[in-house]
Amino acid sequence: MRSKVIRLLALLVVVALIATVSFVGCKPKPAPQPQKPVEKPEKVTIVFAVGGAPSEIDYWHSVIDKFEAKNPNITVDLLRQPMQTETRMQTLVTPLSGKESTPDVFLMDVAWVGQFAASGWLAPLDDFVSKDNYDLSVFFKKTLDLADTYKGKLRALPVYIDAGLLYYRKDLLKKYGYTAPPATWDELVKMAQKVQKGERKDNPNFWGFVWQGKQYEGLVCDFLEYIVSNGGNILDKDGNPIINSDNNVEALTFMRDLIHKYNISPPNTYTEMTEEPVRTTFQSGNALFERNWPYAWALHNADDSPVKGKVGIAPLPHFPGGESAATLGGWHIGMNIYSKHKEAAWKFIKFVESYETQKGFAMNLGWNPGRKDVYDDPDVVAKAPYLKDLRKVFVGAVPRPGVPYYTKLSSVIQKYVNAAIAGKMDPKEALDKAEEELKEIIKQYGKG
Amino acid sequence: MKQGYRSIYRGLHKYKASEERLAYLLLAPVVILVGGLILFPVIGTFVSSLYKNITFLPPVKFIGLGNYKKLFTDVHFWHSTYITILFAIVAVFCETALGMFYAVVINEKFRLRGLMRAIVLIPWAIPTIISARTWQLIYNYNYGLLNYLFVHFHLSHHAINWLGTSTSAFSSIVVADVWKTAPFMAILFLAGLQAIPESLYEAARVDGASLSQQFWRITLPLLRPVIVIALIFRTIDSLRIFDLIYVLTGGGPGGSTSSISIYGFKAYILGDFGYGSTVSVFTFFVILIFTIFYLKAGRFQQGLKK
Repeated sequence: MRSKVIRLLALLVVVALIATVSFVGCKPKPAPQPQKPVEKPEKVTIVFAVGGAPSEIDYWHSVIDKFEAKNPNITVDLLRQPMQTETRMQTLVTPLSGKESTPDVFLMDVAWVGQFAASGWLAPLDDFVSKDNYDLSVFFKKTLDLADTYKGKLRALPVYIDAGLLYYRKDLLKKYGYTAPPATWDELVKMAQKVQKGERKDNPNFWGFVWQGKQYEGLVCDFLEYIVSNGGNILDKDGNPIINSDNNVEALTFMRDLIHKYNISPPNTYTEMTEEPVRTTFQSGNALFERNWPYAWALHNADDSPVKGKVGIAPLPHFPGGESAATLGGWHIGMNIYSKHKEAAWKFIKFVESYETQKGFAMNLGWNPGRKDVYDDPDVVAKAPYLKDLRKVFVGAVPRPGVPYYTKLSSVIQKYVNAAIAGKMDPKEALDKAEEELKEIIKQYGKG
Repeated sequence: MKQGYRSIYRGLHKYKASEERLAYLLLAPVVILVGGLILFPVIGTFVSSLYKNITFLPPVKFIGLGNYKKLFTDVHFWHSTYITILFAIVAVFCETALGMFYAVVINEKFRLRGLMRAIVLIPWAIPTIISARTWQLIYNYNYGLLNYLFVHFHLSHHAINWLGTSTSAFSSIVVADVWKTAPFMAILFLAGLQAIPESLYEAARVDGASLSQQFWRITLPLLRPVIVIALIFRTIDSLRIFDLIYVLTGGGPGGSTSSISIYGFKAYILGDFGYGSTVSVFTFFVILIFTIFYLKAGRFQQGLKK
């Protein structure tokens, strides 16, 4: 009996201890020191979260140095994130759902902006824009409208833009008597089959066409390009799923046939092919066509690349009667709604979006700037002559559904499209099931 | 006189009470740590599983067992559960068998035994994420070691897509996991083996018992407590399998190798914390059931009582 009482007491003590500790932790900070003279504003530190390859991080550091030199009252701490997109998202979801005030500023994949905005994590930028008379016309309008605006408010700005492209081997097309890259998917198959047959004599590892087919986000991007280039889409204008339309089934059947019928895409397409394996296959000279993002261009033309100078870029092919489509990718900058230094954060965002910084992205990292005007810059044109043509592709790029539950839609699409191209499931059956599940998700998550 | 006894008694009691107080004081940091780092999050997860807590669909709302209802009708969740349990059974069985083999071998006295022990342990020392990447390269369709060997030694005419079908992807994951964790089993078993007195084997040899009789009649029964502990460790671990699958297949092809943890992670990434917590609570119960089963089957308590 007595020991029970003591045990209870001990527990109480522990609880009291924890309470005290946490109370001490929450104690309001001592009142600010008597007001300093106005001419010396307080120094603030903002945290900027960004991930990516080491060269990209180095470049971000140089951007920060320049910014700090111009704004001596603001210090920017770079919070380095992992390289992988999904883990980058995770390192933001954790602090934001915990209402943390840092990171103040961060980069988001275009596909997350909807979810982040709907979660109420992104500070609206409209007030800053109108106060500064900030010129939004320098950005691609379609990107701002479709990707960065949520419920009528501007939540993010594009830092750089990605869109799916067709890379091809100029030398091989010429060798086999072709003068131009394929405009339709049928032409692509014919060219790929002929060249693959010829090249296999010397190189048994040669493939006609490599693209992203593993069960992951990239597969949805590829899938979207096939279906939109056949007049289809995932959701209609009102947000209802239309994924099992006949056009889409036809497009998905074609994707499967690339691997299983025409044999121009390797069987590991649906198990291993993400951006990098696709790029290295093409870059080592083992493929005629490649679907990839613009980042591959600089790498294909690096000094140690076996295909240097032999690569061309074109819009992706389309189905008869359809139009070429490129999935809109890229990264956008946003501000934490819980940030305690929103003014400083906005200054930093403006600096990242400035002509000078954006030009630096194009010149140093080969990125495609979020600002339109940089594409006409003579230095940029000299360094990356292809950019001028790409601008057309960017202007027309197709965004993935901008709904907050996009991640969930995506995981369903990934699963069924992957099952279909793996030959595990009939394309029609796969898309019917996907349609059913998308409906279920929209029912669950679409209406609060 | 009586008074005196009473005061001594009281004094003793006071002393005992102060001792007890000291004991609780000394225990407090551990209690706080365990409570704060383990108990609190576990209870928090359970509580959170009773709420609709989706970041983009405020407000947070109490929905009782709503998430569980959803869980029980979620086909993909059940598939993930099936894959996870199947994986745990197959992988743990193979690990135990291989680990036992390793342990018996490196327990024998032979030249370079120290080196052999070190080599056997290496896979366990490599972080899973790195060994998963390594296996990804081994299974690679174009330039993987396995396909090179198969084609080179004419076991197959053409390269095999190891992660391409549900069965082969699943087997590939099991092989990679067994490679890494059999050494862990081997360490535990080795410690158990070394606790078995040599005299028992000597007596058995005198009685003319064969090697296999010695193994089945002496080694295995005496190792039982160690085996049960090892099984509990490994089963719990493999029921939580995440990293290996995440790297090797990402749950593919067509969602066929998704585990419970991968499934829960996806709910979390989506921002559906309530449902993610529900998946975690369910995992907790699956592991609990397995652990209770082992403890009963291993007659562990009896062993301790003896």
